[in-house]
Amino acid sequence: MTNNQLIVHIPDDPPHDLHHQPTVTVFASFINPKHANQIVRRLNQIAPLGDLRHVKRIRKKVLEGGEIELSVVLCLANEGDNQLDGVPPHLQEIISSYQLSPFITNVSKYEATSKEEWQEQCKFWPTSYHPRTYSIDGITGFSEEESHSVLKFMQSAVELATSDGLVVNAAVIVDPSVKQIISTARDQVFTWNTCKDDSFYRKPDLFNFHPISNRLNPQKPMHLRSSCNHLKQPFTSVACLYPGQWAEQQSHLQSSYYCHPLRHAAIVAIESSAARDIRLFPNDEGSKEKYLQLDHESYCTSSPSKRQKTVSATVEDNDKLNAHSQASNLIEENDKLNPNLLSERPYLCTGYDIYLAWEPCTMCAMALVHQRIRRIFYAFPNPKTGALGSVHRLQGEKSLNHHYAVFRVLIPEEALHKYHTPVAEAEETGI
Amino acid sequence: MTSPNTLVFMELAIQQAKLAMDALEVPVGCVIVEDDKVIASGRNRTTETRNATRHAEMEAIDVLLEQWQKNGLSMTEVAKKFSNCSLYVTCEPCIMCASALSNLGIKEVIYGCSNDKFGGCGSILSLHLSDAVSPNKRGFKCAGGILATEAVLLFRTFYEQGNPKAPKPHRPLAHQATT
Repeated sequence: MTNNQLIVHIPDDPPHDLHHQPTVTVFASFINPKHANQIVRRLNQIAPLGDLRHVKRIRKKVLEGGEIELSVVLCLANEGDNQLDGVPPHLQEIISSYQLSPFITNVSKYEATSKEEWQEQCKFWPTSYHPRTYSIDGITGFSEEESHSVLKFMQSAVELATSDGLVVNAAVIVDPSVKQIISTARDQVFTWNTCKDDSFYRKPDLFNFHPISNRLNPQKPMHLRSSCNHLKQPFTSVACLYPGQWAEQQSHLQSSYYCHPLRHAAIVAIESSAARDIRLFPNDEGSKEKYLQLDHESYCTSSPSKRQKTVSATVEDNDKLNAHSQASNLIEENDKLNPNLLSERPYLCTGYDIYLAWEPCTMCAMALVHQRIRRIFYAFPNPKTGALGSVHRLQGEKSLNHHYAVFRVLIPEEALHKYHTPVAEAEETGI
Repeated sequence: MTSPNTLVFMELAIQQAKLAMDALEVPVGCVIVEDDKVIASGRNRTTETRNATRHAEMEAIDVLLEQWQKNGLSMTEVAKKFSNCSLYVTCEPCIMCASALSNLGIKEVIYGCSNDKFGGCGSILSLHLSDAVSPNKRGFKCAGGILATEAVLLFRTFYEQGNPKAPKPHRPLAHQATT
């Protein structure tokens, strides 16, 4: 198995068979074409399609003899509920005032990711299809050099996870353009340092763990059985796996022992990278304007080389597109004014990657959206609380203002034992 | 409304949001209430810290965790405390905060306007609902729409100030919640 086969892209939507794409049931109704505009306008106000934005509100069929038949999606139907009881009152009003006769039908649950999928979807109800207009390196595959670098950083995350007796989750934030580590962190749900200790905040980029070694041999063939999804050990100290576990802690805490249930590795790594930014660029004046304007809605990075569109291809809203082009113009203006500052300093973690031993929980995955991480690499899935494909799939939540690409790096579980268990035992648990 | 003082507490949250706005931060504020008393408050600090996770809720939670541990509470006692706390926040908690609040086992969340882009209490995900499949995930009670108009107005003012070139606020934050 070559290096780049060890890196698996976790897509925005769960994989499905072309001819058996997931559907949801909706209430629909035939309508009089004369009323179409009014009805659609009112429906868009009171029953927006939300997650079903890719579904066309109206289906048009040309019947024999040239007559046109229009039908419209009213709202989502509850599973197994064919009654209109659950329909909101405003919708009931529309139904009665236009004398509609609702029926149940199926529409495609996810936006098509290929033309073939789209054509299949339209067989039961028309959808819109917008080919991805932005790309993030790696989705279409990694070069040998890139994958070598990915494996090395993942190895350092796994080493960090196992570096201190107790196996916890670990995070390594990397600037891939210069292959530089920006910050690292282990879970700090339980720490012996006091949290408010200054040194705690001021030394995020002192990396005192060993240079990346070759202890993990990525060339070693692995058998990726389904059992890979369930690690043999429970790893109960990994915060993202057991986010509620902290409450079970019985002992009274000493002053030197600090517990913070939310200090998962990713959260701490984000904090460290922010502290680093303040340290390296203490004077925020030059970019203050830009920050204000782009905070919470930045569609571009401040670095021209790393600029990427994060506007989802589904965005049809003209306001948003305008905002986007305005933001681009603004950044280009700023680039001209102060090219040095901007090319060195990214907005939050834009353009950066994070390596995590375990798939992050919902809190951490959303924190990484907020901080504008470009790519997430994890080694081990988190079947009960993972938010990048296991339980939720934030990379596919269209409404979010930023989307990262997610990859799993296939590393055998033995990597977690290697450093701390006797050799014989490690071999025994090897996959 | 879950407490006769709901509006009073939400007013205090709005005050926190205004403090955020004065500091050129996205105007979101909150207070945490135990036994009808405000025990912590917080406001957005994402710009100041350059850390986009420093939402009002996270700020207030950190105040409590530090305080309670200084007072020598064990983790089981801290968990018990949270299970008796209500959060009043001007905007529906985002997916990150809702998930954090669920991990802490907070009793209830009362919010102002809904959060159509990031909301974790019904708008995008419903993290406040408990889940029989994963016992780790604790649910909490949730009610929205309290002083929503005021909360929206703050956002509008902020974005108008922040980007005079924008034709109108391009962050569609706010449908007034009806629950």
